[in-house]
Order: sequence, then structure tokens, then C-alpha cells
Amino acid sequence: MTAAVNLARPEALRRHRQWRRWSLYGFLGLAAIVWVLPLLWMLSLSLSDNEALVRDTTSLVPVDPTFDNFTTLLESGRTPRWFWNSVVVTVATTVLTLVLSSMAGYAFARIPFRGKRIAFPVVLAGLMVPKEAMFIPLFLIFADVGQHNTYQALVLPRIAAPLGVFIMTQFFSAIPAEIEEAAVVDGASRGTIFWRIMLPMSVPALTALGIFTFVLTWNDFLWPLVSATDPDNFTITTGLASRQGNFAQANALGDLMAQGVFASAPLLVLFFVFQRQVIRGISLGGGGK
Amino acid sequence: MGQPVTNAGAPVVRSTRSGWAFLAPFLVVYLLFVLYPVVQAVWMGFYERDLLTIDRRSWVGVDNYRRMLWGDGLTWQLGTMWPWRVVGLFAFVPAFRAYRRGALSIRGLVGLGAVLGLVFAVALGIHPGADGRWSDSQFWPSFGNTLVFVIYSTPVIVGVGLGLALALNQPGRFIGLLRTLFFAPYVLSVAVLTLIWAFLLNPQLGLIGELWAALGLERVSWLTDPNLAMPTIVVVTLWWTVGFNIVLFLAGLQDIDRSQYEAASLDGANGWQTFWYITLPGLKRTMLLVVVLQIIASFQIFGQVFILTRGGPNGATRVSIQHIYESAFRDAELGYASAMSVVLFVVMVAVSALQFRFMQGDEQ
Repeated sequence: MTAAVNLARPEALRRHRQWRRWSLYGFLGLAAIVWVLPLLWMLSLSLSDNEALVRDTTSLVPVDPTFDNFTTLLESGRTPRWFWNSVVVTVATTVLTLVLSSMAGYAFARIPFRGKRIAFPVVLAGLMVPKEAMFIPLFLIFADVGQHNTYQALVLPRIAAPLGVFIMTQFFSAIPAEIEEAAVVDGASRGTIFWRIMLPMSVPALTALGIFTFVLTWNDFLWPLVSATDPDNFTITTGLASRQGNFAQANALGDLMAQGVFASAPLLVLFFVFQRQVIRGISLGGGGK
Repeated sequence: MGQPVTNAGAPVVRSTRSGWAFLAPFLVVYLLFVLYPVVQAVWMGFYERDLLTIDRRSWVGVDNYRRMLWGDGLTWQLGTMWPWRVVGLFAFVPAFRAYRRGALSIRGLVGLGAVLGLVFAVALGIHPGADGRWSDSQFWPSFGNTLVFVIYSTPVIVGVGLGLALALNQPGRFIGLLRTLFFAPYVLSVAVLTLIWAFLLNPQLGLIGELWAALGLERVSWLTDPNLAMPTIVVVTLWWTVGFNIVLFLAGLQDIDRSQYEAASLDGANGWQTFWYITLPGLKRTMLLVVVLQIIASFQIFGQVFILTRGGPNGATRVSIQHIYESAFRDAELGYASAMSVVLFVVMVAVSALQFRFMQGDEQ
């Protein structure tokens, strides 16, 4: 009697667990499909014929499939220009952020110098400054020197990233002192140590910080909106936003969606290829605070 | 054997020059573009400065602040905005709990109580009388809308993030793929987000309208209904950013000691008990981080509403940053916009500081 119960229970329990597992998978799978539907829809519309879209915009399969929308974008209008602006600004911001952050991080982590005890908290305080709340004074600063509608106006404020310094400081602090000391004994200068030893060791941290900066800069909206007001100087993000004022003109919907695909392609490709690094990099935004 | 190395190496010797040399490039841009703007905002907040005659400015003292916060013919009533005020006073409960636990000094408790009382019992009772009006009719409503967004979005995006993270916290390729899919929208820019959703939500053209009609329901204009616009913006933001919270929660879940779960299962704890007594306490630090980041991010909401609704319908989704933006670039009042930036800045720093205090207190 008791033996029968004992034999039956694990079986029932296992079946119960299995059922729960599969229903959880089912629910998650369904949720994930809902989650990507909007993206697929954008892709589908961008590959649809503009004329056909006047009749039907709710298809998840391209209507009268065509690449016309993309070729139109590349051949006319400002999209290539905006794309190029975004590339220049994003690459410059990313590279400069990596250079400045790693240099400052190296100084804070490895060089004993007078004034460090004051400088480090001052830099950390910058983590508290909410970037989006400070766009008016930033606008005034660049207006005073007549530098709006330039690349440097979009790049310079963004490379002052206390978060990057903080992350690099933490990273360099964790490197064992022996490595550096051996080089010092060999007579290497600080510059050499930094360039030849420290930087090559910090590739993982630099990758994460670089991806974080890249995504943030590519998607930056408020500052380019304020600073680069000449349509030739829009980034792809502000350019795309500028075309969304009037939703009634649905006759160029495919065109518009193609522009959306264009604007998100670099990041989506980056994401799907370097998934792990991208997720690690983006969560840096949380790790630092 | 080990000790001579540290003494022989240069790291012990101060090298002030090279230290500053490595720091200098960053420090220059940091001082110019992070710290100086704060000073500049405070400074310019006392001026009147027109966008069109940007080189001229005139000192107006605290006029900008008076105009922003005050009005003509204001009166005070106990009944004004009472639901908000009652809810606000409840903020005293966690403070009192922190005091009981010894995390907050009696001075801190009294100070906080005074501030809460001042804000919720006194300040919120102030409103324009019969002939009165606010000097800036837009400031408080847009600030209120920002708060509403913060209050709606924080529990929703944090809660859904936690739920999905718990469900996704297991090995396997299929689960890995799902994580990827949930995270994917986070890499989109706000302009792509609004492009997709403006059409998805369009009652005539969009997928959602179609779905609604297929279910036999009346088509809803999500973004033009004053009661639905803000909740809709919250849902759109959820889709966009929940992946970020999932990632942080998943990282937090990894840090919880596995042996605790084993012990709990030996004790016969059920799923809910395990969650309540082990998972949730174990996630405390992560929760603090996620909530603070979420609140800070929500306060800075701008792009979604600016592109999707332009602040409409009838100002129902107009938020603080949009008000600052339009004051500066539509009304050309840069001094006034600076003063508002200062207020937003102070509020955000204060909220995140308070939050940290409380949750750190809870940990002890």
C-alpha cells in the first residue's frame, strides 16, 4: 500500500513538472513571437511595394516584394548623408571615449599622484549628472563659440564619460601589480607600460565599453536634435524622426520603413553577431552606478 | 622573497606629472562638458536670454523661478489633489520603518517628515483661485505628466523584467534564443521605435487595429485618447527597454547562492516560498540598481512622446524635457529653459539619492 504510493508519486510529480515546464516554454515562446512581430512587420513593409501598401499595411509577408524602397533611399534624398554623419560621429565618439577613459582609468588605478584623492571623487560625481537634463546649458556653450551643426559639437560632449573612466579604473585596479613592476624594473616608461602592457590586457573591457558607447551614440536623439538643426547635418536618428511628423502621407510608407531598417541595421547586425559582448557592454550602463 | 620587488619598483614613487598627464585629456572635456554646464545652467537661470538675440542677456534674478513655480491669485485648499496628497504622505511609512530598523536617525526622520508634510500637506494645496492663474500654465502639468510616467512605468517595466528574468533563468539553447529576442528592441533608436509603433497603433493602418477588429472589438485610437495615450506610451517603452532590466536581473539571479535553493527544497518549500524568502532577498541589490536606473531613465523621457504624440492629445503626454525644449527652441527663452533644467536636475538627483538611502537602509 505505502509502497504503491511511493512509487506512484515521483511519477506524478515528474509529469506535473514536465507539464509545467512545457507550458512555461509555450508561454515564453508566444511572448517572444509577439516581441519580435513589430520588427518583422517593419521589415515586411520595407520590402513591400509602395502602391500595394496603400491597399494593405497589415501583412507580415511583403506585398509585391521589391527592393525599390532601398534603392530609392540610396539614390535620392538625404538618407546616405545622414547615415554617413551617424557613422562619423559614432566612430569618433567611440574611439575617443576609449582613449580618454582608458588613460584616465590607468592614472586613477595605477599611478600614485598628488591630487588623486580630490580628482577621483570629482569624476565620480559626474555619474550623478543626468545628461538629458543638461542640454540647454550645453547648447549655450556651443552657441557662444558658434560651433553648432558641426561634428565636433556632436562628439565632444559625449566623450566626457565618467562612467567609462570608472569602468576602466575598476578594470586596471584588478590587474596584478607584479606585471607592471616587472616592466618598471626593465626600465619601461609609463607610456610604454600603458601602451604595450595595459591596453592589450584590457581588450575585453574596452570591447564592452566600446559597444556600450557605440549603441548609445548611434541612438542619441535629444542632443543631435538640438545641436545639428541643418537637415544636411542630421544623424540617421534625427533624420528619421524628422520624417515622422505627418503620418497621413502613408503613400511612402515602404520608403519610410526602409529608412527605419537602414537606421537600425548596423546595431541589429552588431547585436546578432556579437550578442554576448553587446549584452555585456550595454549592461555596463547599470554596472557603473 | 616577495618584498624587495615592491620596494624596487617605481609605483611606490609618486609621479604626479605623469598622473596628471594621463588624466588631463579626459579632465578637460569633463570639466567643459559635464561640470561646467551645471554651473552654466544655474548661472543662466538668473538671466533672460533670447534665442534670436543670443549674444544679449539681462539679469532678472529669481524671476524665472517665480514664473515657473508661482502665479497670480493663488489660493490654498485642503481638498485640492487630495488623492495624490494622501498617497504622498504614505511615503512616510518606509521612512518610519527605516528609522525603526535604525537605518535612519531621528533627525533624518524628522527632516524627511517635514519635507513630506510641506510638499504633500501644504504645497500641493496651492492652486489658482477664481481669477488666478499659474504664470506658466504648462510647467506643473508637464512636470505632473513626467511623474505620472515615472509612477506608471517603473513598477510595470521592473515587474515584467523580473518576471521574464525568472522565467528565462535556466540553461538551454531555446531559452538563450528567447533572451536574445526579448533584448533585441533595446538596440533600436527612439526614432525607429516610434516609426514602428506609430503605425502599429494606427487604428486604420496598423496591425493592432486589425487584430482588434478581428476580435470584434471597436478600433481604438490609442495615441489620441487622453486617457489612453500615457499608458500606451508606457507599453511602447516596456517593449523597447525591458530587455535591459532582464539582463540586470539575470545577472543578479546568477549571484544567488545555489545551496540556499537546495536547502529550501529539502525543507519542502514550495515555489512561491522559495521566491519570497530566497530569490527576492537575494536580488535586493539588483533591485535597488534596477529601480534607481528605471526612475532616472523615466524622468528623462522625451523622444517617445515628442515623436509619437507631440505631447498631445491636449497636453496629456507633454513631459518636462519637452517643455524645456519648446521653451528654448519654440519660445526662444533660453534663460527660462535653463532655470527649468536646474529644477529637473535637482529633482532627479534628490530622488535617486533618497532611493539609495532607503534601500541601503533596508539591507542592514
